[in-house]
Amino acid sequence: MNTPYRLNRFVIADPGKCIGCRVCEIACSTVHSREKTPLTAGNMNNPVQSRLYLVRTPQGAVPVQCRHCENAPCAAACPVLAITQKDDVIYVDEDLCIGCKTCMLACPFGALKLVPVFENGLPVEQNLPLLSETAQPENSNGDSDGYKQLHVVIKCDRCLGLEQPACVANCPQQALQVVSPEEHLAARMHEAAVSLAAVVRNYTS
Amino acid sequence: MYAKNFDETVTIDTIIKMTSPIIAIDKELCTGCGRCLEICPVEAIAGKPNTPHEVDTAVCILCGQCVQICSGYDAPDETFPTSRAERLEQRGMLPTVQEPLFAAHYRGDIHRVIEALQTPDMFTIVQCAPAVRVAIGEEFGMPYGALTPGKLSAALHALGFDRVYDTNFAADVTIMEEGAELIKRIQENGTLPMFTSCCPGWVKYLEDQHDDLLEHLSSCKSPQQMAGTLFKTYGAKIDQIDPARIFSVAVMPCTCKKFECERPEMNASGYQDVDLVITTRELAQLIKHAGIDFPALSDEDFDNPLGCYTGAGNIFGTTGGVMEAALRSACEMLTGTPLPDLELEYVRGDEGIRKAAIVHEGVALKVAIVAGLQHIDSVLEQIRSGEADFHFLEVMCCPLGCVSGGGQPKVLLPNQCLEAHIGRKSGLYAHDRSLAVRKSHDNPQVKKLYQDFLGEPLGHEAHHLLHTDHSHNRNLV
Amino acid sequence: MNAFIIGDAELCIGCQACMIACARAHEQLPTAALNERETPFHSRVTVVNVPEVTVPVQCRQCEDAPCARSCPVEGIVQNNSHIEVVKEKCIGCKSCVLACPFGAIKVVEDTIVCSRIFMSASADTPQNRIEKPPFVVEKCDLCADCGTPACIDICPARALQLVDPDAMQQKVENRRKQNANRIRQYRSQLM
Repeated sequence: MNTPYRLNRFVIADPGKCIGCRVCEIACSTVHSREKTPLTAGNMNNPVQSRLYLVRTPQGAVPVQCRHCENAPCAAACPVLAITQKDDVIYVDEDLCIGCKTCMLACPFGALKLVPVFENGLPVEQNLPLLSETAQPENSNGDSDGYKQLHVVIKCDRCLGLEQPACVANCPQQALQVVSPEEHLAARMHEAAVSLAAVVRNYTS
Repeated sequence: MYAKNFDETVTIDTIIKMTSPIIAIDKELCTGCGRCLEICPVEAIAGKPNTPHEVDTAVCILCGQCVQICSGYDAPDETFPTSRAERLEQRGMLPTVQEPLFAAHYRGDIHRVIEALQTPDMFTIVQCAPAVRVAIGEEFGMPYGALTPGKLSAALHALGFDRVYDTNFAADVTIMEEGAELIKRIQENGTLPMFTSCCPGWVKYLEDQHDDLLEHLSSCKSPQQMAGTLFKTYGAKIDQIDPARIFSVAVMPCTCKKFECERPEMNASGYQDVDLVITTRELAQLIKHAGIDFPALSDEDFDNPLGCYTGAGNIFGTTGGVMEAALRSACEMLTGTPLPDLELEYVRGDEGIRKAAIVHEGVALKVAIVAGLQHIDSVLEQIRSGEADFHFLEVMCCPLGCVSGGGQPKVLLPNQCLEAHIGRKSGLYAHDRSLAVRKSHDNPQVKKLYQDFLGEPLGHEAHHLLHTDHSHNRNLV
Repeated sequence: MNAFIIGDAELCIGCQACMIACARAHEQLPTAALNERETPFHSRVTVVNVPEVTVPVQCRQCEDAPCARSCPVEGIVQNNSHIEVVKEKCIGCKSCVLACPFGAIKVVEDTIVCSRIFMSASADTPQNRIEKPPFVVEKCDLCADCGTPACIDICPARALQLVDPDAMQQKVENRRKQNANRIRQYRSQLM
């Protein structure tokens, strides 16, 4: 009877606790470094590229990230199958991504981001020549030597392989948590059942 | 060019106003999260949630803990009124710096180091605080607390400094002076408890908020300033150099040391004793800028004689270290018998306030160690009310002492901060254990310094060069 | 005002007949075909069996339904007098699951829509590709298409009832009247 798939767990923030410090973004970028995980700021040679986004509005701050949708529109939209279901996350294989941006159109949360790729502080080039008139050394896109910088889409992978997602583990306010849909539902139903018991008697009697 | 006679009428306040502030919060990057406000030990930061915060420079003790905790950064896909290049320039940082820039920051001074190194007539001397050698490796991908004194010395030689000396040497000298001062106060019924004076944030705090207790403060200058004075006097004599040509740089784990070296009274050598202070992070940036592969460097020694140090000088870099170094010497000076065991675990606390009593050959000493300035007020109250029964108080502003100072490498993941600080602390103690000489008064070059130049601890020359009158300094402000 | 179904913990005997009836009522296939199908079978009402209480829990058809407001794709709508899921729009993001205070929304495997999402290890070779089964959210729709709600019909203990807007309104008004009478009785003491 039970479904063979566990529903995808995801990270969500408590807006009441978030103070907008951006530690989650730094932590996310740090653990997703393409090189050895930098320990200190001095090792961060590449620009900060976070997979969650601290959104600040007049009402306050809250980080937004991927919900790992069961019927993920991003994955369904990807023409090269770079986005798949891996363990219990929706995963982007950055090596397969062609930068077509369709997934960004599809996602209703704005959870995907197209980023330029850097390694050891230098832009990674791809075999895509620039039209010679527009080719300038180190132009604003980080392109150089007449070739365009590699761009890929990144998104939350819930830090697959780590004990706890870096954003959750490092939030100084404990404002972020991993939600397991099954456990969440069971807890809510439990509360609902208990509160219902008293109320219904009052109505029926 | 930079070494100059300091005008006696310049006060600390004008110094602060003259230069750009040492610690500041960048309004464009601050998100108003309030974590700096929480960590500030003196409540010098104010601001409403979600709006940029501000540092009150009159209260700030420049410890730089806000710089360490700040996480509001210059996100590459956001546009700010100030460009990254402009921001680097405003902060006195090298244009080659790639790391993210955070809202809370300190004034960078690296350009002046480069200029001095490139000035042919300048004789450049550098000193490194103990905590630098257990942290700088982290900026080059090494693990937390990696012990790299040899590579540090090699990098400084490679950068072109004429003399690579060590603050640890001056820490040993500090113990000679401070130990003698403590014994004198005990024997002559002087003001007790005596306070350590090596942490410039603590000294500033006492001056700013508790000037009635300044008499308790040891008259010793900090190791950085003792080193600076000795470089331009004794050091100049050794190298037969006109002290006016010396440009003296200190590499420190501390942001407040930038302020300390600019204090108007710190000119016993006849010149500004220490011309410039850069932090551990700034030195790492300079090493990268110069294209030096730090992890690949072969070990080199610090230069003699003012780079010779003991294990006792080395542990100044962590809480309890000054106390331990002082006890190793003071107990022996008082009784004539060395301590049986040099591992004084009972003073190595980092829990805020630690008290300990030492009985050695009939001499009983009581001490207290405060780690983190937020814990100090209750101790000061005890002293005022006469309840304090200890002789000697060590105070460090930063949580685990200098290893966790504001100028140290900034740990990116908050849940690794403690691991990093403990790693650095263990590195210092490991270094202490591995050194042949572990007591300051056994440092052969310190002995020679007293023999050839200073005379006795607390003697006339030592008093002139290595001590300062804190209550008088207060009047300058 | 929307009608809704509530369970009575004092009457419920925990037999789960309501769950079976609910699941069956929302399947179009004949029973024989259902027996052969591999896709699991799910109910929109859940008999919660916890130490404190045993009672069926389902959607309260909230007027300002948090589930609908949390949906990023307008996949939950008001249909006549109940809140309904538009299956074809559901992306399985689970926002409604977080939003509902009753735990009344479930994410279940579905046979009708198609996911077009592949399992990671299988994606490289076209012939071996394994498609991930689609999931949609489900919740009580008061059996709007088939008359009386199946759970109420089947309950042997009569523990489930439909709270009808008119009846509820009537009840509330009666309570006000009774209260007014009571106030009149003790008014003299107050003054």
